[in-house]
Amino acid sequence: MKMYNRILLIGSLIAGLSMALASCDKTITEPLRVAYTPVSVDEKAGTWKTYVLTSPADVTLTAPSATSSAAYQAELADLKTKSATLSQEQQEAVVYWGTGAVYRWNEIARELAARYNVPPAANADGRYPIPDAANPLADPKFPFANPPYTARALAYLTVAQYDALVSAWNYKYQYKRAAPSKVDASIRVALPASALPAYPSEDAVVAAASYTVLKAMFPGEVPFLDAKLAEHQNSRLWAGMNVASDLAAGMDLGSQVAAKVMARAKTDGMSAANNQTLTAGMIDAAKSRGLTEIWASQETPVRAPMLPNYGAVLNWNFDAATKVKLRPVAPPAIGSAEFTTALDELKAISKNQTREQARIANYWSDGAGSYTPPGHWMRKAANAANEARYSEVRMARTLALLGTALMDAGICCWDTKFFYYYPRPQQYGVKTTVGLPNFPSYTSGHSTFSAAAAVVLGSIFPDRADEFWQQAQEASDSRVYGMIHYRFDCTAGLTCGKNIGSYAIERGKADRSGL
Amino acid sequence: MKKGIRYLIFAVVILSLPAKAQMPHDAIYMGKKQICVAGMYGYSSWNQYWENTLKRENLNIGTHITQSVMLMPAIGISNRVNVILSMPYVWTSTSAGNLMGQHGIQDLSVWLKVKAVQAGGFSLNAIVGGSIPLGNYVPNFLPMSVGLQCRTVTGRLLASYRESKTGLYLTAHGSYGWRSNSKIDQDAYLANDRVYNTNQVQVPNTYDAAVRLGVLRRVWQTEVWAEQASCLTGDNIRRNDMPFPTNNTQITSVGWYGKVQPHNIGVNARVGYVVDGLNVGQSTSYTLGLLYQINFKK
Repeated sequence: MKMYNRILLIGSLIAGLSMALASCDKTITEPLRVAYTPVSVDEKAGTWKTYVLTSPADVTLTAPSATSSAAYQAELADLKTKSATLSQEQQEAVVYWGTGAVYRWNEIARELAARYNVPPAANADGRYPIPDAANPLADPKFPFANPPYTARALAYLTVAQYDALVSAWNYKYQYKRAAPSKVDASIRVALPASALPAYPSEDAVVAAASYTVLKAMFPGEVPFLDAKLAEHQNSRLWAGMNVASDLAAGMDLGSQVAAKVMARAKTDGMSAANNQTLTAGMIDAAKSRGLTEIWASQETPVRAPMLPNYGAVLNWNFDAATKVKLRPVAPPAIGSAEFTTALDELKAISKNQTREQARIANYWSDGAGSYTPPGHWMRKAANAANEARYSEVRMARTLALLGTALMDAGICCWDTKFFYYYPRPQQYGVKTTVGLPNFPSYTSGHSTFSAAAAVVLGSIFPDRADEFWQQAQEASDSRVYGMIHYRFDCTAGLTCGKNIGSYAIERGKADRSGL
Repeated sequence: MKKGIRYLIFAVVILSLPAKAQMPHDAIYMGKKQICVAGMYGYSSWNQYWENTLKRENLNIGTHITQSVMLMPAIGISNRVNVILSMPYVWTSTSAGNLMGQHGIQDLSVWLKVKAVQAGGFSLNAIVGGSIPLGNYVPNFLPMSVGLQCRTVTGRLLASYRESKTGLYLTAHGSYGWRSNSKIDQDAYLANDRVYNTNQVQVPNTYDAAVRLGVLRRVWQTEVWAEQASCLTGDNIRRNDMPFPTNNTQITSVGWYGKVQPHNIGVNARVGYVVDGLNVGQSTSYTLGLLYQINFKK
């Protein structure tokens, strides 16, 4: 009787508790990022060093009509109408884009990367079809936005944004046409207005540059990108921030710059990155240097390695000879004491992976369906720049320094991976909790990407340098905890990434920004 | 995959009924001051699954296996009010590929079953259940995870008619299941074709409906059943991607259940087979249980 009462009590307590905990609210809260007045408008940014443009005047922009002209006054009247009253949807668009043009377009790029980051499925005959850029929405979709692909897409995006904004700043201060609300104080603005001249619109510049790059990188997403582009431009009218000719000039400038940036992309060697005929020679070369067991795909059916010739793609911040010098020394011989120690560490984790190790492995996994490690670090950088209230052009500079460093890291890491062609721990019976990437083990891509990113961000945000480095270290460890990399893959990757990052830092110091 | 999990939950909850043994989906009640404890072992496996609507195999998984052991006491508070508890320990494995199996204590479930109406052989029963995760397992390493790390509340209405001479019965029920958000180790994820910048994941609510036809005698019971268990919302597994807790899983299954309990000790068994689904594995499941009944009546 007593026992039964006790059970009843416990039972009802648990039932009651679960009901209480189960409040019906299933709302998901995501961090809100709102518009701000930048700490500096960076009025000298028109002189900053660009990546692809040789000078801001590489692209042309006609002089605007004067604010006193009838044409401008007509635009102003139109703007007044459009910004006077906003629907709920229009207000939301204003708030969304008000966070920042560079911020939002990078976020959009990461989302596209995540959506396209799934390896193709095998056909019935056991072969893997190659994604086709001419037919991007067929199965498999083009692109497979894996880490090298995404690193490159983000690098071109951020370079196009940066070069376009440097050029825009040049023209802004050449033409000095004030913002509509400074011309006519009765314009109702929904966002903070700075002293920055409004022609060309920096938002339209970023939108057009981003649109051009992303359309090339994600050709199946043209309708999606069209809608974003239109909404972004409209949001500037609804917010009372730009007249139509500010936007048209920005579109023109951004498109011109992005076209030049994409011309580099067309000849950077990416089209040969998936040249699978090269692997036989790579394997022979690795064996001739003493490798006793080569990397082999652990998938069934066997899948060809991811972009084996990505290591030959054109770097941003150093030349090909430097890339070879940056390549880490050879990994331990298979079966050596050092190799055995590293493999034993993984075997021990596989027997007793702690929940904290699993958490770290999962947090940094950034595998299929994610925006990949480059996307992860771009997000951190964009948030840091947002929190530091950077101007559009300074945020673009931050992300371009990081974006180019990440692509450089990807290229160097892939060069190393296919130079050494080193087997994965899974070839010695170790399982994984994060999913096994389909390319050689040495060195760790996560470690290389993360170290490069952490040192670049540490130089831009010195008071957060330790935090970023600690995160890079954790990202690197995560691959050991996930049991897909030997410890030496990770330490070598970290060192190499750090060196790669130093070239971006050097560039940043010499880009005339004084930052 | 997800199926493994959802199915398991169902298997666990549904299946295991003690002799008198009753479950959250039948009209059988323990008498006042009776407790029946069931110890159950479950084995569920699939080698094909529905990736969205595409039925496929995956050679990097081979056969996916979910096993569990569970303790399930059913307590007679009165002849018309029963409480059923269950606590499973679950482990997963695959016959191929590199994915490491997971294991752990899953979720504690509590069911309150009330016979609201009894008229002759007919009864109408109201059942409320809740569950809370007990283990700190990883919820989104699917299909290997042992659970989804969400709290649930289920409301169920069950009608049953039993012909007393033959023991022939027909039971039908329908339920609505609320599921809380889950938290994952990542701070961003893709679902519904967009990136969510948070670690909170919306796990869809569910409904289920089932019919059972069987014979219940003093010492034995045999039954065939069909059940539909589905999410009300959710997204689909993308082409060649892994499942995710936001997936809209749908399972149509059929099976058999039987029980023999001559005295205090008895056994039960259940076999289930998924005939159709969405975003789940086509599993075949077996459960075997040992029942022990305790009477506190003096």
